[in-house]
Amino acid sequence: MMVDPSSPLPENNQTIINVAVIVPVSERYDEVHELYDAYKKALQSSGFNYEFTYVLDGDFPDVLGKLKKLQADGEPLRILRLGRWFGEATALTAGFENSRGNMILTLPAYYQVEPPELSKLLKEMHNHDMVIGRRFPRTDSRLNRLQTRLFNGMLNFITGTSFHDLGCGVRAFKRQITEEIPVYGDQHRFLPVLAGRQGYRVKEIDLAQSPRDKFTRIYQPGVYPRRLLDMLTVFFLVKFTKKPLRFFGLIGIATFSVGALIVLYLVAERLFFGSALADRPALLLSSLLVVLGVQIFALGLVGEIIIFTHAKDMKEYTIDRTIN
Amino acid sequence: MDLSVIVPLYNERENVNPLYSAIVNAVAPLGVDYEILFVDDGSADGTFETASAIAAKDHRLRVIRFRRNYGQTAAMAAGIDHAGGRTLVTMDGDLQNDPADISQFMQKIGEGYDLVVGWRYERQDKLITRKIPSKIANWLIGKVTGISIKDNGCSLKAFRGDLIKNIPLYSEMHRFIPAMTSIAGARLIEIKVRHHARKHGTSKYGLSRIYKVLLDLLVIKTIVSFAAQPLLWFSLLALPAAAISIATLFFSFYEVLTRSSTFSVTIAGVGVLFGALTFNLLLSGIVSELVYKTGNANLDKLSFLTLEKLQPRSKVQ
Repeated sequence: MMVDPSSPLPENNQTIINVAVIVPVSERYDEVHELYDAYKKALQSSGFNYEFTYVLDGDFPDVLGKLKKLQADGEPLRILRLGRWFGEATALTAGFENSRGNMILTLPAYYQVEPPELSKLLKEMHNHDMVIGRRFPRTDSRLNRLQTRLFNGMLNFITGTSFHDLGCGVRAFKRQITEEIPVYGDQHRFLPVLAGRQGYRVKEIDLAQSPRDKFTRIYQPGVYPRRLLDMLTVFFLVKFTKKPLRFFGLIGIATFSVGALIVLYLVAERLFFGSALADRPALLLSSLLVVLGVQIFALGLVGEIIIFTHAKDMKEYTIDRTIN
Repeated sequence: MDLSVIVPLYNERENVNPLYSAIVNAVAPLGVDYEILFVDDGSADGTFETASAIAAKDHRLRVIRFRRNYGQTAAMAAGIDHAGGRTLVTMDGDLQNDPADISQFMQKIGEGYDLVVGWRYERQDKLITRKIPSKIANWLIGKVTGISIKDNGCSLKAFRGDLIKNIPLYSEMHRFIPAMTSIAGARLIEIKVRHHARKHGTSKYGLSRIYKVLLDLLVIKTIVSFAAQPLLWFSLLALPAAAISIATLFFSFYEVLTRSSTFSVTIAGVGVLFGALTFNLLLSGIVSELVYKTGNANLDKLSFLTLEKLQPRSKVQ
């Protein structure tokens, strides 16, 4: 990644920046100047000091040109450009690390919510640690709405949270949160879940969806299994991080027990009713289950050894305050 | 500093004040330089406010507040991380332990023990839901870990500070501290302590944790006995699988040789499956060796914490 050398950072500017506005730019973006102006207006009315950081996730010459023009006009704007496409999480992390301000506001590079709605979000930051947007009322297609509902419903079911729209890119949170919770891969989506788990006060508020967001998005089929895997990862992180054997043990013991019961039944049949054992495929199936169960359990033990040998790196608690 | 008294608190507002005065009354006559650490494990009942009000008047009381509830092990770990005393004493925040016992503990540490464990010999709890399960658990823990202690659940313990600070404490391992310290070869002793019935608040745990304790026990066994040589541990686990595999394979070969017409594919298949399991377990052991080598649980360093140096007096000073 490079910080564009032609962008003079307003370091000499001594005003304190409250909000670092991070805008990751990827394939989908709307007209840069217009959206920037709309965001700017909303931020100005909120009374916070802000500084924009645009992160180009790959090569977008037209966007870069327009952003440079804004910079030349004296707008408080940083431009970061990644060497190739890395995905939203990397772009966001680059933005977090190369921006100032103890509050972070991430915004999509396209009309997702109505920009004037942002002041509602920022107002809530006075008494919360993280405020995330929920596109509501929605204007997009039924299909997309259904996807959002399914995704969030599943997530809430497995993590015990109650979010409605983790796919919304509008989020405000304290910088401390990103410093404390490392996110990798596609996990930035789950940051509210993980932050809530660390004891931060997280709130979801309704932001009217922009009418320009109104078209049916069809994702590549590969996206869905990836989301499911991410969800599994988060489930594991939330429930069992320090206790892998509880997770693997449960599956392992269940598999083993089913297998062992079938074996016992077959052996009993052989002993007391004389039905032949050697030519029954059920014996193979049950042995397979027993073997699998032991194997899963052993994986849990390996997990426990990993945790033990790295226990000193992991702090299990977060401290809110200390006195004396 | 000589002594840090660490008390995890979770929704113990009514107990904070009496607990504080009991500790001060017990420790002050000892004439040692001490501190008290109250770790508020995310209480919602004003425990933190009550404790900080005392801390405002007494600088020897330090209060640590968690952002949310993390459980007793984490609270103990935080207290241990923040404590500055040469001797650390941990106790429950529910007044069931008696701070007056601290002097006994200090005395034993002074005699050269690394770890002193309390034994609630007249336990004031319900028989069915508390005492009997804990008896069974203690017996099991003793059998499995080889560290036979009558009362692993007693929070009142004293440690040599530099030793316990190097013992990894996570998930619900506070129940197994004696076993964990035995990795380092800690010299431990058990002494009888007083135990009072709960006055305020309700007890925070019950019967519903057998599965967890049993698994934790297996984990402890893995760690205490085999963390440094996981391959050996997994080889032991693989033995029964290997035995089944060899037995079934021999049986099917025997059948082929004696009654060549009825070769049993199923029996041979079972043998092959268990053979594969044996290999998989051994490979898991090798992966674990790798994990241990790259990790930072430096067990050698731990063992040196209890190293006694009895050197001949050198002539040149």
